[in-house]
Amino acid sequence: MKKWVPAVSGLAAGVLAATVFFADFSPGPKSEAANEVNSNKTNAEKVYVPFGEKDEYYLMASGGHSGQMFIYGVPSMRHIRTVPVFSPDSATGYGFDEHTKELMGKYNWGDLHHPALSETNGDYDGKYLFATDVGNSRAAVMNLETFTTRDIIDVPNTSGPHCAAFVTENTEYMFLPTRFAVPIGSEYASLDEYSETYRGVMSAVTFDEENEKLNIAYQVALPPWSYDLSDAGKKMSADWAVMTTYNTEEATTNLEINASQADRDYIVLFNWKELEQKIADGDYDEVTGQKMIFPEKHKGGIYLVPVAKSPHGVDVTPDGEHFIASGKLAPAMTVFSFEKAFAAIEAGEFEGERNGIPILNYESVMEREVNPENALGPLHTQFDDKGMAYTTMFISSEIVKWDPSTGETLDRVPVQYSPGHSVAAEGDTVAPDGKYIIALNKIAKDSYLSVGPSHPESMQLIDLTGEKMEVIQSAPVNPEPHYAQMIKADKINTISIYDKDESNPYAVYSQDQTRIERNGNEVHVYGIAMRSKFIFDAKAERPDVIEVNEGDKVFLHLTNIDFDQDITHGFAINQYDLNIEVQPGQTNTIEFTADKAGTFPLYCTNFCSALHQEMTGYFLVKPKQ
Amino acid sequence: MNGKRLSIFSSIAIVISALLIIFSLFFPWWRMEFFAPQYPEGLNIIVYPDKLEGELDQINALNHYIGMQTFSEENFPELQYLNYLIIGLAAIVLIGAFVRKKSYLYFVISLFIIGGAVGVWDLRHALAYFGTNLDPMAPIDMEPFVPPIIGENIIANFTTYSLLGTGTYFVIAAFILLLIPLWKERKQ
Ligand SMILES: [Cu+2]
Repeated sequence: MKKWVPAVSGLAAGVLAATVFFADFSPGPKSEAANEVNSNKTNAEKVYVPFGEKDEYYLMASGGHSGQMFIYGVPSMRHIRTVPVFSPDSATGYGFDEHTKELMGKYNWGDLHHPALSETNGDYDGKYLFATDVGNSRAAVMNLETFTTRDIIDVPNTSGPHCAAFVTENTEYMFLPTRFAVPIGSEYASLDEYSETYRGVMSAVTFDEENEKLNIAYQVALPPWSYDLSDAGKKMSADWAVMTTYNTEEATTNLEINASQADRDYIVLFNWKELEQKIADGDYDEVTGQKMIFPEKHKGGIYLVPVAKSPHGVDVTPDGEHFIASGKLAPAMTVFSFEKAFAAIEAGEFEGERNGIPILNYESVMEREVNPENALGPLHTQFDDKGMAYTTMFISSEIVKWDPSTGETLDRVPVQYSPGHSVAAEGDTVAPDGKYIIALNKIAKDSYLSVGPSHPESMQLIDLTGEKMEVIQSAPVNPEPHYAQMIKADKINTISIYDKDESNPYAVYSQDQTRIERNGNEVHVYGIAMRSKFIFDAKAERPDVIEVNEGDKVFLHLTNIDFDQDITHGFAINQYDLNIEVQPGQTNTIEFTADKAGTFPLYCTNFCSALHQEMTGYFLVKPKQ
Repeated sequence: MNGKRLSIFSSIAIVISALLIIFSLFFPWWRMEFFAPQYPEGLNIIVYPDKLEGELDQINALNHYIGMQTFSEENFPELQYLNYLIIGLAAIVLIGAFVRKKSYLYFVISLFIIGGAVGVWDLRHALAYFGTNLDPMAPIDMEPFVPPIIGENIIANFTTYSLLGTGTYFVIAAFILLLIPLWKERKQ
């Protein structure tokens, strides 16, 4: 027995030593600590995220007419990143390099409205973010591995896809209803022919995840009204979607007055599965290259529900059984029942038709009207984990918490000032988190140090875990978040570098592959950027110099071979009005004509290393003889 | 001395020793960890008998500032054949379990000691080569240095730690297993 004791102990000693040296005894992530009840923390402690720890949620806030997305952390309310989508951004070279120039088309700005995160089973899956451009009628998709815009499409026949994007339960479609009615194809037509010729076209957009491409599956030529907010059904109502309309008066001037005359506008209730079937059955007209459903001709699947006048928000409860809408001038919110609507549709119980679309009876679909005392201007509703509703009141400047199943007002909190939308933690999914809601206030007024007559907008973080709602942080924000989405941070999986792509003909990963090729008056540069130099042609006497003739067309392909997180390089040529960036491992291309003869320094614009100042070279343009 | 055959127990120890040597091929033998204010998570060079792993690209990108040559598998021809030598050693050890002679065991142990010494010399040679052949044109002037095989060193903003890898511990254990029969079957 005693014999093998030394053997085992020898082996054990080896294994033990290895364990001591190599085992990872570092403490695990402290995320659990962040989840502890907030009740005995001060407000400062609730929003303080010390260095080394991360925020619990991402806030993806639309940037309105900045054309950008603003990424914030919650609860710290720290601005983390601005992602350009519809507008150029020299800080990231967006709109300068070939890929992003092509994405932006011929436009220089956009009005980024409602963002929507991709969903799986009605819950955010953290993969993509969709957004619309009210300014130039486009839609975009952003990849959340890199937080970069991957595709933008023009949406024809539509003008100002405002209330979108909203996605169906499994991101089958993103629907883009339009704020402005225009004639099909945006053709010229007198406003006297508004009711006959104009249409409020809604688009069903699909997303091809593999190729990261957006595509218009079909369109619906709705009546010439303005379409405002919308939401997709959930669970029992998953095949349906709802959206609010205003200007059903079909006014063509002074909408402030003329579009506020009728006591009732409508919610459009439609079954997207049924519309999809129509398309499959060929029950549509081909117009301007699009498959167009004309509701008065290709009947079915679309219904109108009367609602208090000039509604803004319409929001589906997390259980998918109800939708809540409110006239923005009326004091009351209405809870509608999907079940009742389905029964009325089944029974063919309609009070009439408008433009060939059946109108349901308000009374037969309405479940209850909710009228919190003195609350004015209900705009938009979010939900918490218990199904309670939180509605922003634009005019009375507050958020009201209420119970959709009883109509009882539970709490209210003033905000500064005039909240448009609000966003709760995963607050429009089938499984909201509760915890936080953020008021997206339109007016900051005297909230921050003054910067002149105009001020930033303001976002206010409200703690939902206590007895009463409480504003615990205020953060200024650039113009202008219309809506936002708040997603649990652990659902987002970013990459830290771009992997080598040997199939990319423009990429060069080693110095000896760098080269400058001339083809007539075209100059193709295959270069690399690395700490702390550019190499355009390693064999040249001066590898960091590009020499061309005046009038040459230059194609510069630049690869960042620093495969190291956050080592981003920039590339700019003095006086040539261009700047691009190459993120770690990325290859980027810029094309331009050397139309100015002379000597132009080129340099790295994104501070990369201790010798970043030395990361320079020359762009020499020989004058024409 | 050559009359008595080694016991079954000793043979088993020798078989286990051979297995541990084979086992060690699948683990790193040596590593160097680099820490800097900007790299609190650390960068690594991890040396296996047949490959290098770790953040070599990042380390090379940083080392060029002091004019150090790049670490790559091409610069270490040993990686092409080291694993065959190790397999060969394991085979020689394994034969000892059947030969069951003390003399053969002495031969194996000598081979082990020679191999180990050559290995340590080779590693030290590589460290000295990289640390002392610095490009004089490099942006940062640096006194030539030789990082230790085991232990801490400070180079500019980096603190490095050299450590033996799991594979080496397996080999040390294998060596001890070879000594045990000698001790066990020593003349009483
Ligand atoms: Cu740089």
